[in-house]
Amino acid sequence: MNMINVISSAPRPTDDVWIPSSCSLCYGTCSILAHRVDGVVVKIEGNPESAVGKGRLCGKGVSGIMTHYDPNRLMRPLRRTNPKKGLSEDPRWKEISWDEALDEISAVLRKVRAEDPRKLVVQRTTTVTASRVPFQTFAAAFGTPNFSVSGGGQHCGNGAHLISGMMHASWSIVPDFEYCNYAIYFGASKGHSAGHASCSNMGKAADARARGMKMVVVDPICNFAAAKATEWVPLRVGTDAALALAMCNVMVNELGIYDGPYLQAKTNAPYLIGPDKLYVRHPESKQPLVWDIWSNTARPFTDVAAADMALEGEFTVDGTRCRPSFHCLRDHLRKYTPEWAEEISTIGAATIRRLAKEFGTEARVGSTIVVEGVTLPYRPVAAIAFRGSQGHMNSVYNFYAVDLLNHLVGAADVVGSCLGFNPTSHGNPDTGKLRYIPSAGPDGLMVTGMWMGYHYPYPPSEPRLPTNLGLQDLFVLGMTSPFLDSTDREEMWERFDLPYRPEVMVNFGANLVMSIANKEAVAASLAKYKFMVSFDLFLTETSNFADIVLPDCSYLQSLDSRSNFPFIFSLPAGMGEWCWPIRQPVLPPDGEQRNCADVLLDIADRVGFRADLNAAYNASLNIQTPHRLEGETRYSYAQICDAELKNNFGTERGLDWFKEQGLVKWKKKPEEVYWRPFVDVRVPIYWEFMLPIGEKIAAIAEPRGLKIPMEYYQPLPDFLPCTSHCCQKKDFDFFAFYYRDIVHTNSFTMENPWLDEAARLDPFSYTIAINATEARKKALHDGQLVWVENEAGRKVKGRLKLTEAIHPEGIGIAAMCGHWSDGMPIAKGKGVFFNELLELDWAHVSPVNNNLDLCAKVRVVPVEVAP
Amino acid sequence: MNVRWDDVVDTTLVRSAVTQAVPRWRDQYGRASDVHVHVQLFGALASIAIERATNLVVPKPATVGDVVTALGERLGDAFLARVRDETGVKHRYCRLFVAGVPIEDLQTPIDADSIEIEMILLIASEGG
Repeated sequence: MNMINVISSAPRPTDDVWIPSSCSLCYGTCSILAHRVDGVVVKIEGNPESAVGKGRLCGKGVSGIMTHYDPNRLMRPLRRTNPKKGLSEDPRWKEISWDEALDEISAVLRKVRAEDPRKLVVQRTTTVTASRVPFQTFAAAFGTPNFSVSGGGQHCGNGAHLISGMMHASWSIVPDFEYCNYAIYFGASKGHSAGHASCSNMGKAADARARGMKMVVVDPICNFAAAKATEWVPLRVGTDAALALAMCNVMVNELGIYDGPYLQAKTNAPYLIGPDKLYVRHPESKQPLVWDIWSNTARPFTDVAAADMALEGEFTVDGTRCRPSFHCLRDHLRKYTPEWAEEISTIGAATIRRLAKEFGTEARVGSTIVVEGVTLPYRPVAAIAFRGSQGHMNSVYNFYAVDLLNHLVGAADVVGSCLGFNPTSHGNPDTGKLRYIPSAGPDGLMVTGMWMGYHYPYPPSEPRLPTNLGLQDLFVLGMTSPFLDSTDREEMWERFDLPYRPEVMVNFGANLVMSIANKEAVAASLAKYKFMVSFDLFLTETSNFADIVLPDCSYLQSLDSRSNFPFIFSLPAGMGEWCWPIRQPVLPPDGEQRNCADVLLDIADRVGFRADLNAAYNASLNIQTPHRLEGETRYSYAQICDAELKNNFGTERGLDWFKEQGLVKWKKKPEEVYWRPFVDVRVPIYWEFMLPIGEKIAAIAEPRGLKIPMEYYQPLPDFLPCTSHCCQKKDFDFFAFYYRDIVHTNSFTMENPWLDEAARLDPFSYTIAINATEARKKALHDGQLVWVENEAGRKVKGRLKLTEAIHPEGIGIAAMCGHWSDGMPIAKGKGVFFNELLELDWAHVSPVNNNLDLCAKVRVVPVEVAP
Repeated sequence: MNVRWDDVVDTTLVRSAVTQAVPRWRDQYGRASDVHVHVQLFGALASIAIERATNLVVPKPATVGDVVTALGERLGDAFLARVRDETGVKHRYCRLFVAGVPIEDLQTPIDADSIEIEMILLIASEGG
């Protein structure tokens, strides 16, 4: 056969287009171009017009085509016929019509809403960033405060996001790659893996390394970040605060390196602290006092020029001895010697001193630089932390200590430094919309201009008896809560007299049986729901607990008007462009698939709360006259998206315009990106509010039998050990931890055959990494089948991969492997399910922000091979 | 050489984020009169209220906070606790729209004879 003739005689495609949209293989949500030929998507590339990725697309993104066309995708609504729910129960699915499904769901929700709307839990995966709005508005309109993102937050965000918000007015922090000369990462993946602005950051990190930026990665394993670094610093799991505090001590007390003017003008370092560890305040105005060097008196911080504020010294104010908070910090740091930190972290004292000296010297304290005609402070160093360091009992202090490195040298949101993701926007130049700027709150400390979480980072809410299932009303520095699923949740709810219990769950794509902790704990909580409905692409381990499963559209079939907003989440930081892309359908639904946002509107109409939902959309999207949604009018999701776009960008730039153009963008200004010198706000290097918060929480909790460990509620950071650090059991020699494999996101990409192939080619993705020298000492060998067992006897099985690229005490497992659902046959049986090693109760979460402790002391035992 | 943080930049490049106060209303004789308020409650606020739509009359000069206080007198402490904290500051998660315009500061004056106010709690915890 002549192939040329065959090809030339083939009909020309009638449909051959590249459609701009947004990826959804991870929450980075990079901008894409999907190539559709005769109704089939044949290729996905990055969109070079967009600031989100700048044309780059990672292995996951280009593989999205295989997720979309997976023959295991759900096509029709399913109803379980087996009333028993459990890990080993077959739901015995039966196909039903959409009307049957929505009638039943609506009847259940109508009853619950009439009884007590708080009995509804709304839960969603973070993978689809834009799903926040439809599900948040649905929950708000329904009247429930019980909204969760499953493992998201409990693993990676309660510390990182809240503290980034408090100190940088943003969701996360990242080096200013264009100008940074020295970045030190503490268990962070920015620029080397999935997540916030992932493809943009990968390009920026690579360019920075090529330019000569030194990157030091502190991590128990040398893989996605450390392997591309200048230097890998292996440390004992969960001891990041010890290293960071020792580095702070060396800089301040041994080398005398700190940015005094920054501390005076932009932090609470000059505020006077009394013997009760609290601010000394003006008797009438209650403003914190500083010591005015010029007049030699104590005066409110608002009345003294920054340069005249004392940073050190012992003073007496109305008979009270007091010191500036910087003086308290400096004294506090003295006990964290490099020799002490070596014992804790296993990093040599000489290395700690060298790192501190390099960081402090490279900061170039006092220098300035001109960017686009504007003279700005120049501090080309950044200390970055994320999931790895903050995912522990000591979540708050680990992150706080790392970020102190930045603030001591003024490397915060200025050129070359540690940047928040876009904390300040002067708004779209055509409409003035999307303007937000941090402002000064109580005691002059910074309040973010934009936020998404349960609590604003600052000022902290007043602790009160909780009325929500996650207890966030009490634990006011927490965000996502473990207490929806923990083994002691009923005990907690009884303790706090919670007057209702969860009865119904609406779940969007979250696979919480796998994404939180051990599966038995989560399964037990799921089995107790009277009714559960789940929007899914596949039948996951979690959808097997649902009563009704609804077949969702994939991202190539979906519409979202704000795929990358808020800008504090996944728009690249640093100079460049503001960019607002949309997601639009490239393909129609298959079978009876429906977009979840439209289904939620349909449910609201059936239950009878459309007016509430319209009001919630107006509030969530900030839609103003004349685009506001009115009364009980039945808008489609496309009409709501159109209203939001016109509201933000003008009547001529509605959904049709965006479908054609894909995005709108405009140039960032230096005073937006490097906003810190322009905005009169301070951030706390001394967390004076912690002690009162702890005392108030204890006043509520301790009479009810819950002891609050006050060592976690002190104003200055400390190293506090994880549960695993305290384990003394014989033969439990290793600290098991997980890492994020670069080709996988949460658990759902495990089903993608291209990504599965890539993972099988990687010797680590589906195995258990162990230090080669230590393994050989125990007569363990490469490829050996072993059990990894925690103190409580929970264990997982897998094959060892010996490597020198892991800390001698570390056991590294790629996250979210080990599926067992028949609905995801590509994923089933691949890799090791790390979360099985995690306990889920009060004893294993941070007592401050309720972040899970993501490490376990384990032993490694060979699997007996049957003769 | 160290450079002062407050000296190296031109702060006039950033406009003030403070919204301008609306002048207080007076009638032609300079006296204050009443403002008629139609309040609509949504979501959780509606579920704890006797009625989701309420009409109030508040003497001028009035602020949004005055309306909230009047609502609290009618709907009780449970309602007020969801809207504002013990110091009278509105919770960030309570979204309040006056004539379709979002209001954060309860001290914002009301400059009209009649006004529509919409209120909803928008709570969400996040991760990722």
